[in-house]
Amino acid sequence: MKYEHCIRCTICVENCPVFRVNPDFPGPKQAGPDAQRFRMEREKSVDKWVLLCSQCKRCNMACPCGVEPAEIILRAQQKYGLQHPRTLAHLLFANNYYLSALGSLTAPVANKIAAMKIGKKIFHAMGIATYIPFPKFSFKTMRGKNKRKAKAAKRVALFYGCFINFYRPDIGRKIIRLLESFNVDVVLPPQWCCGLPALGNGNLTIARYFAQKNAASLSNYIDAGYEIIYTCTSCGLCLLHDYPGILEMPQGKKIAENTRDLHEYIIGLIDDGYIEPQFGEVKRKIAYHIPCHLRALGIGYPAAKIMKMIPGLECEIFDDTCCGLNGSYGFKKTNEATAVQLGNRAVSLIKKTKAENIMADCGSCRMQLGGLSGMEALDPAEVICESLGITGEK
Amino acid sequence: MSVTQHDVIIIGAGVAGLTAGAVLAEKGCNVALVAKGEPTACLSTGCIDICSLDHEPLHGIGHLPEEHPYHLVARAVIREAVDRFGKITDEMGLPYVGSLETNRRILAALGTFKNTCLVPSTMAAAPQDEKDDLHIITFSGLKDFYPSYIIARRGNASFSTYEAGADTTMGLAANFERHDFLEKFILWLEKIKIPENKIAFPAVLGLESAARIAQKIESSVGKKIFEIPTIPPSMPGRRLFNVLKDYFRKKGGVIYWSWPVSGVEKAKNIVEAVITPSDGRPQSLNAKAFILASGSFVGGGLHARRDTIVENIFNLPVFVPGKRDDWFDSDYFALNHGIGKAGIIADSSFRPKEAPWENVFVCGGILAHTEVLKNGCGHGLALATGHAAAASCLEYIK
Ligand SMILES: Cc1cc2nc3c(=O)[nH]c(=O)nc-3n(C[C@H](O)[C@H](O)[C@H](O)COP(=O)(O)OP(=O)(O)OC[C@H]3O[C@@H](n4cnc5c(N)ncnc54)[C@H](O)[C@@H]3O)c2cc1C
Ligand code: SF4
Ligand code: SF4
Repeated sequence: MKYEHCIRCTICVENCPVFRVNPDFPGPKQAGPDAQRFRMEREKSVDKWVLLCSQCKRCNMACPCGVEPAEIILRAQQKYGLQHPRTLAHLLFANNYYLSALGSLTAPVANKIAAMKIGKKIFHAMGIATYIPFPKFSFKTMRGKNKRKAKAAKRVALFYGCFINFYRPDIGRKIIRLLESFNVDVVLPPQWCCGLPALGNGNLTIARYFAQKNAASLSNYIDAGYEIIYTCTSCGLCLLHDYPGILEMPQGKKIAENTRDLHEYIIGLIDDGYIEPQFGEVKRKIAYHIPCHLRALGIGYPAAKIMKMIPGLECEIFDDTCCGLNGSYGFKKTNEATAVQLGNRAVSLIKKTKAENIMADCGSCRMQLGGLSGMEALDPAEVICESLGITGEK
Repeated sequence: MSVTQHDVIIIGAGVAGLTAGAVLAEKGCNVALVAKGEPTACLSTGCIDICSLDHEPLHGIGHLPEEHPYHLVARAVIREAVDRFGKITDEMGLPYVGSLETNRRILAALGTFKNTCLVPSTMAAAPQDEKDDLHIITFSGLKDFYPSYIIARRGNASFSTYEAGADTTMGLAANFERHDFLEKFILWLEKIKIPENKIAFPAVLGLESAARIAQKIESSVGKKIFEIPTIPPSMPGRRLFNVLKDYFRKKGGVIYWSWPVSGVEKAKNIVEAVITPSDGRPQSLNAKAFILASGSFVGGGLHARRDTIVENIFNLPVFVPGKRDDWFDSDYFALNHGIGKAGIIADSSFRPKEAPWENVFVCGGILAHTEVLKNGCGHGLALATGHAAAASCLEYIK
């Protein structure tokens, strides 16, 4: 760990969204490198406030010395999680995948209950916030299609992520059609939750359990000559950063080297001359909210490059604000106030620009900003499909 | 059709890199800026030191040692850089005041004065001598800001404390950005009936709209107000960084964060691309020319080894001021530690000397012989050399 490299400059603190609004959180410098000097391996973890860190990773990106406070805190969170009884909300969100799978299977009923007063009461009793509506489960998830059908020169295995799978499989299907229109074969490898929600809820065991299953599956596809494509930037960061890192997957390095962001991949196709898409006009202004984890990936903002190629489209970038939801973080009652304040700030900056839509690569950012603003929040792939005239069957 | 080919790539998001980037973007270049972290501007007072040694900055520059990089920049270019900075900060809603003819003073949290050249409008009313009587507002629980330090040095000052529900500069600034908080605060301020003619605040009056917030308070209470810079987290430093960054973007510049450059791809005398290791596969970015604005030690451009100092990206020759024993003065608070001279020596075209690269330019804190602390020339030198390096780079790529 690199906590000794800290020069106590507080640049990380200036960047911490939680520190900005929640006086109970001492900020990345204190929670990270400062406290780390006192965290003995054998001693019990007592700093409960580490759980207030949302793992947005903004501190990592800001630090001039490569300290990565978020990494230090993430490990402290796992230790705290292991040594203390978990709250119901933490357990539920760590197992979000199974919960959502159940929700999708029973979608018509589950959605009704979630929207009813009694549903909200149940959520509150479990420590779950309801300031934005819980996303609607989709009955039709992303199933099947794990074999190649055509024989294009390029082939990818899509890691679509839980949000698309359980709540918006229509976007997933659009992405498949988009890639196919570029003459790329798409398969859907067997996959589970990437494990990030479990990590975020201090549950390393469950995170590793999911990671092992995914790593084995994805690794097979890589061996068979597929590139792995992710669409949700938080799943992406987990695959690239946490699989070889804290989750210690033996196939982690291989996965990281062979996994790409959807838009980064499309730009590669254009650069290589494999495709020459004829983008049609999309006449409006879009506020592009950059998910914290896209920024952390260090690949720039590939979708923004594609937006520049779309005639008529004006795309303004917002990368200084965290939406505040951070996956399941903001759904916990204890973090609700933080999440709402951060979300409202992001929304108020966006509203000043008079943009018609919000765009974000991450489903949870879209849910938060769409919910708080009442504006339509789109996935970049939806905008690309609109420009190319690709409609997905619902 | 290539989407990833740039005209120029700038390494470093400090005052130097962002200034160079804005100059190039304004001229229609396709510029990308890569950064591994945030710059020293975020730690600074936000005030632009040009040459604080002398009452007159330009005169002071004339007296700097001949190897000082300021001498590579024509006076007219220094003026142009300062004028442009004024226009940019006006446009972005964070106006600065001051002129190249005379330095001015700001009040520091210890009650001492600090010489500087350009100050944000929120510090414009700072007293220039001992005469003004001051009322200082502080906030309960705020660490490292003690009005009694100032009062001990100035007989004509007193203070009041406001309970703001936050005790950090960040938290307070976030509160001031809230309309309801500001209204309540102003009511309180009007009620306490301040007898003194000026009101001083620690620099926490907002982050995005500080100039507007300060103006609102001033017009409500009918007295001049001004901010006193705090130790980091420093809001005025962050505001400076934000406006330069937003302006660069507004002009079409692109920024890659979390992009620590670890090396280059080269052919003969030309650097073709910069590389970052990244999670997963290494990323690279191509360009016709590169500007190195990676700062000195704090920014991360220079690294001290046991007996030498290195620059890791291009492996440029670094001027090392003698043996390690000569790097530091025995007096910690002395301003002339030898290490302040370390850095890259540039020629008059802002290319690094004794390096083979035709298309690499260098500017800002990484330059040799700057002695930023001693000469009081931090941001000013970054503005001037950023401007000049961009001009030279522009000539090359044309
Ligand atoms: C604590 C402090 C307070 C100061 N206060 C003032 C003040 O009040 N007024 C004033 O005028 N001056 C002040 N200065 C001096 C001033 O900040 C600097 O001299 C000046 O801003 C230098 O700017 P720069 O752009 O050259 O570099 P820096 O601000 O150092 O920025 C360097 C940039 O390069 C990036 N970088 C470095 N290495 C790499 C790499 N390998 N790959 C990618 N990116 C990289 C960094 O992440 C950073 O973004 C202060 C300095 C410090 C340290
Ligand atoms: S990861 Fe985000 S919330 Fe956690 S300490 Fe860092 S900046 Fe703050
Ligand atoms: S972790 Fe990095 S950014 Fe934070 S105080 Fe330490 S050196 Fe500065």
